Amino acid sequence: MSSSVLICDDSNLARKQVLRSLPEHWHVDAQLAKNGLEALSLLRTDNFDVMFLDLTMPELDGVGVLEALQQENISLPVFVISADIQPEMQKKVLDLGAKAFIRKPIDADTLLTQLQAFGIL
Amino acid sequence: MPYKLSEDQQDCLQELINVAMGQASDQLARYLDSFIYLTVPDITLVNGQTLSHELVSNETSMAVVSQGFFGYEGIRGEALLVYQHKDSNRIGDLLGYEPDELSIEEQLIDISSILTTTFLNVFASEIDNQLSYSAPKLLTGSEGTLSTHLTQLSFDWDTALTVNINYQVKDYSFNCEMILLIPEVAIANIKTVLDRVLANFE
Repeated sequence: MSSSVLICDDSNLARKQVLRSLPEHWHVDAQLAKNGLEALSLLRTDNFDVMFLDLTMPELDGVGVLEALQQENISLPVFVISADIQPEMQKKVLDLGAKAFIRKPIDADTLLTQLQAFGIL
Repeated sequence: MPYKLSEDQQDCLQELINVAMGQASDQLARYLDSFIYLTVPDITLVNGQTLSHELVSNETSMAVVSQGFFGYEGIRGEALLVYQHKDSNRIGDLLGYEPDELSIEEQLIDISSILTTTFLNVFASEIDNQLSYSAPKLLTGSEGTLSTHLTQLSFDWDTALTVNINYQVKDYSFNCEMILLIPEVAIANIKTVLDRVLANFE
């Protein structure tokens, strides 16, 4: 059985980097969103097992997505993958319910470790 | 337009810039013990004359620190750090200097050096390159200084690729804009490098 995964990043290259970093043995059905608004639209209609979320995006940024998830009581494990590595930002997203903060550029080993740490794999 | 980046090249450059900008802002945040708001960088192909006119038309209200960079494979350009005068007077407070400890000009060069070298070193590492830098030069806000400087740069600015990054410091309403100018002669080289990065993901 495959896991339903949502990858939200405004960069096509970054979305590919996440897809390529997913563990090979993990069967996923991945959907892609180019900004926070697209992600929220998908999250309101579909069920996802996990989301990988960028922060600095047009339309609606990652912090806005996390806030909306709280307001709308949408619950799922969110892994933030961002280049905005400031400690204050990392604390902010964890306070808003993200499982973990992963810095860009992402690498497969780090992603695997985080997925295992939170029981996704 | 031969210099225009393809959609994939533009996306790739934006993501590379995004990572470099994130690390530069982290350095700046630690240096200032504050938080930096980041926005999506703006990448545009412009007419060099227009660019010069836009910058120069406001030059008396701002201070600019300019630093050249050059690396392998014909990667080169100029990094401009643009400060409004009202902000540059606050930098001493931000940096924790006592009054008269360091001139505003030295403070501007200090802070610019952190942003420019951190940003460009990360960017260079992402594209397997290594950059060297010219000494940063402060262009004071007197009329004609910036236009003279841009003219003196040995680039052909008919067309330039510009990357605009905005660093907004929390609490202090301090704003600094980084403008990377990639001259016409280096745009094709940047495109070659971007194609190489993209090829890794095909």
